[in-house]
Amino acid sequence: MSNTENMISRLKEIVGKGHIVHDSAKLKAFAVDGKVPKAVVYPGSIDEVSQVVAYANAQRLAIITRGNGTKMRMGGIPKKADIVLCTRRLNRITDRDCENLTLSVESGITLNEVQRDLGGRGYFLPLDPPFTDKATLGGIVAANSSGPMRLLYGTARDLITGIKAVFPNGDIVVSGGKTAKNVSGYDMVKLLIGSLGTLGIICEITFTLLPLPEKKWTLLIPFPSMDEAYGFVYDLIGSQLLPASLNLVNAAAANKIKHPMPSQKGNYLVAIGLEGIAEAVDRQVSDMGERGRNHGALDVVNVSSEQHEDFWTAIRDFAQELAKDSPNLVSLKSNVLISKNKELLRSYENIADKLGVECAFVNQCGNGIIYSHLLVKGDLDSKVDSLVELIGQFTSETSHYEGNLGVESSPPSIKERVNVWGISRSDSGIMQRIKGQVDPAGILNPGRFIGGM
Amino acid sequence: MERGNMVEELAQIVGMENVLASEMDLMLYGYDASLYKGRPDCIVLPGSTEDVSKIVKFAHREGIPIIARGSGTNLSGGTIPARGGIVIHFSKMNKILEIDTENQRAVVEPGVFTLVFKNELARYGYVYQPDPASEKVSTFGGNFGENSGGPHCLKYGVTTNHILGAEVVLDDGEVIWVGGKAADNPGYDLTGVLVGSEGTLGIATKLILRIMPKPEAVKTMLAVYNTLEDASNTVSAIIADGIIPATLEMIDKLTIKAVEESVHAGYPLDAEAVLLIELDGLTDGMARLADRIMEICTKNNVREVRAAKTEAERAQLWAGRKGAFGAIARLRPNYLVCDGTVPRTKLPEVLNKVMEVGKKYDLPIANVFHAGDGNLHPLILFDERNEEELKKVHAAGTEILKLCADAGGTISGEHGIGAEKMQEMFFVFTPRDMDAMRRVKKAFDPAGIYNPGKVIPEAEA
Repeated sequence: MSNTENMISRLKEIVGKGHIVHDSAKLKAFAVDGKVPKAVVYPGSIDEVSQVVAYANAQRLAIITRGNGTKMRMGGIPKKADIVLCTRRLNRITDRDCENLTLSVESGITLNEVQRDLGGRGYFLPLDPPFTDKATLGGIVAANSSGPMRLLYGTARDLITGIKAVFPNGDIVVSGGKTAKNVSGYDMVKLLIGSLGTLGIICEITFTLLPLPEKKWTLLIPFPSMDEAYGFVYDLIGSQLLPASLNLVNAAAANKIKHPMPSQKGNYLVAIGLEGIAEAVDRQVSDMGERGRNHGALDVVNVSSEQHEDFWTAIRDFAQELAKDSPNLVSLKSNVLISKNKELLRSYENIADKLGVECAFVNQCGNGIIYSHLLVKGDLDSKVDSLVELIGQFTSETSHYEGNLGVESSPPSIKERVNVWGISRSDSGIMQRIKGQVDPAGILNPGRFIGGM
Repeated sequence: MERGNMVEELAQIVGMENVLASEMDLMLYGYDASLYKGRPDCIVLPGSTEDVSKIVKFAHREGIPIIARGSGTNLSGGTIPARGGIVIHFSKMNKILEIDTENQRAVVEPGVFTLVFKNELARYGYVYQPDPASEKVSTFGGNFGENSGGPHCLKYGVTTNHILGAEVVLDDGEVIWVGGKAADNPGYDLTGVLVGSEGTLGIATKLILRIMPKPEAVKTMLAVYNTLEDASNTVSAIIADGIIPATLEMIDKLTIKAVEESVHAGYPLDAEAVLLIELDGLTDGMARLADRIMEICTKNNVREVRAAKTEAERAQLWAGRKGAFGAIARLRPNYLVCDGTVPRTKLPEVLNKVMEVGKKYDLPIANVFHAGDGNLHPLILFDERNEEELKKVHAAGTEILKLCADAGGTISGEHGIGAEKMQEMFFVFTPRDMDAMRRVKKAFDPAGIYNPGKVIPEAEA
């Protein structure tokens, strides 16, 4: 038997014949940046994950973990792709303790499934990352994916109290648990969040829950100019008001958001999400509307409770929607000092204008995150040079404001020519040392993470 | 290396006046707020990151242990020189470097006292949320090392949720930055790993803190109970009702007695327990939330609920809570505080069992703790001069941690493992879990110079 045949037969023993794909035609759908795996396995238990990983480690086979595949365009081009390990059969809720405000789930369940389960009981998991329907919790956590409401609720690192993961040697490692506070041993939970499947395969996660807010409301406030829009934004940021989300989008983005927009669009639209107790939401609606008008708003449009969810889903899934028209969409994520949102966005607009690239910008103002979606139309090849040039210039601008720029999603022809994780920092050496200790054979997701890890 | 040579080498880096090695110094830096004692070889007081880097380089070359220390308020023996070595004391690196309200960040040196910084911040109308009880003297370096908590962590999270980056000296003296003022820097969350690593992975020399505008309104209430059970049932009921106050603290009868004798916070002496409940946020709707809490208290047989009407009244109620550990020292010469944490819903059940342990060993137990987080702090009172009692205390402490672990909880919520709870690590972790942690230790500090003999028990041969 060939090596591949040996591998397939061993993997079948572990996960069962019905839970492996090795037909070459079918495997193509699981290619990552063009690298086609030799097999896709669907383990049905954490023990099976452990066996697959231990086997791969012994054979030096590369494993790429996948949930529903919404993050497969993230990161660098893989160095190697032997096995795709799909978590979709690990989809159970293992402990629902709403009165303790915790929920433990296996990593292959989607966030949407969890929200449906919790919603009926009056609770929710306060994460709102992209790919509302499809993203699995394992993928969300591994990629440290977040959404507009992080301003109020925080990100995965604020909301996870425990993780069970399979480490590269096959060990099932438990960190944390279901207590709100825990300083027993090192915080391995933090290490795994955002590690993009390079240190361990996340199999079970315990989240902090919150009771559903009494009231939700959204304000859409268009402004004629950038100065006026940001004048309003910084007024809010410095106030004692507590918006759940505070986003600013440019006209190119506002035109493409799949939701009814104010008739007077202006050039910049500020969208504010409010969630909490009814009196506090109502007071903020009127207070913010007034502040908006004082800063020159063209209009203050109320999006009521019923439409609130739809609007923010449209924001969360914006890149997905854009990709329908622009299959070669390039999405960039910049992180920057919150006081420099305006300066940076202005520079980005100038650069994009000069290079003739249409950009839809979404700025999470309260967090200093700017998503730049480069709307690439028609033939990609002829535009690669200018897109690479734009990414370089954006990166250099971002670094002036203690920030960084990463490529969230792009065709391989661009990835080959840029550093998708941005500029290397002084902590990259210690990251390599951690990876070297935890995964000495380099079998987990090789090449896709920062520094080629 | 001989002490004389060590002192000489260190004096070349920081000057003779910043190296301490007298017999009294070695005794003073040999203990902290835990029951443990050790003995360093010498103490050094660096004035800059560069000093720290040079000290660490020297220690690395010579294989000398390094223990970073602020005020020594940690409760688990984290700053005890278990194997001798150099104590780096950060009292001279105590500057607030930057308060950057525009970016909601501040940068401080590790020797800054928590409360000094918070008072300075208050002048800008901003707050830093974590509030360890020792905040008057606890330093940011210590908060970073221990991942300190405090009452307001119920709503706002612990230190790790408020430290966004740090300048760190690695084991070989290399200086790096982890995290930063901006969110979401790419790569592993090294800040998250370093916070709470108890000085065993790296030493922070600058810290980036998250600050936020002061809440518009605060409402502080004291709920008085005739039984401990009614008080703990109230805690579980408030959380289960979907209300997350800023704080939800419990103080029991024995603690009330001690507190009233020293701080005079105005807690009723004949109560079995009081709850200190605080709401913060926007003014609108707060009165209704307070009413809802009042209703829950009433359902659980509260005797009386008092609301602080002025800032002075609020400060008085809090003085009782903040001064509790100190006040307890009036009752017996020593106490052991157990930091076991349980899922909140298990609180009434576990608290009962804790009191039974006290009865079993015939030791008084006082309770003052972060009830809303399920973070117990039974203080077992004793006299360390009585050897038999000392033995009983350790046995009782271990038993309490075991019952927390068995209730689905953990052995430390905010005080750390240190030298104290290494054996109890086996209550919550498998050898495989600890092997994974050892790999992290090896990546950061292969030679093991940073705070040896702490946190992770050695692997069995």
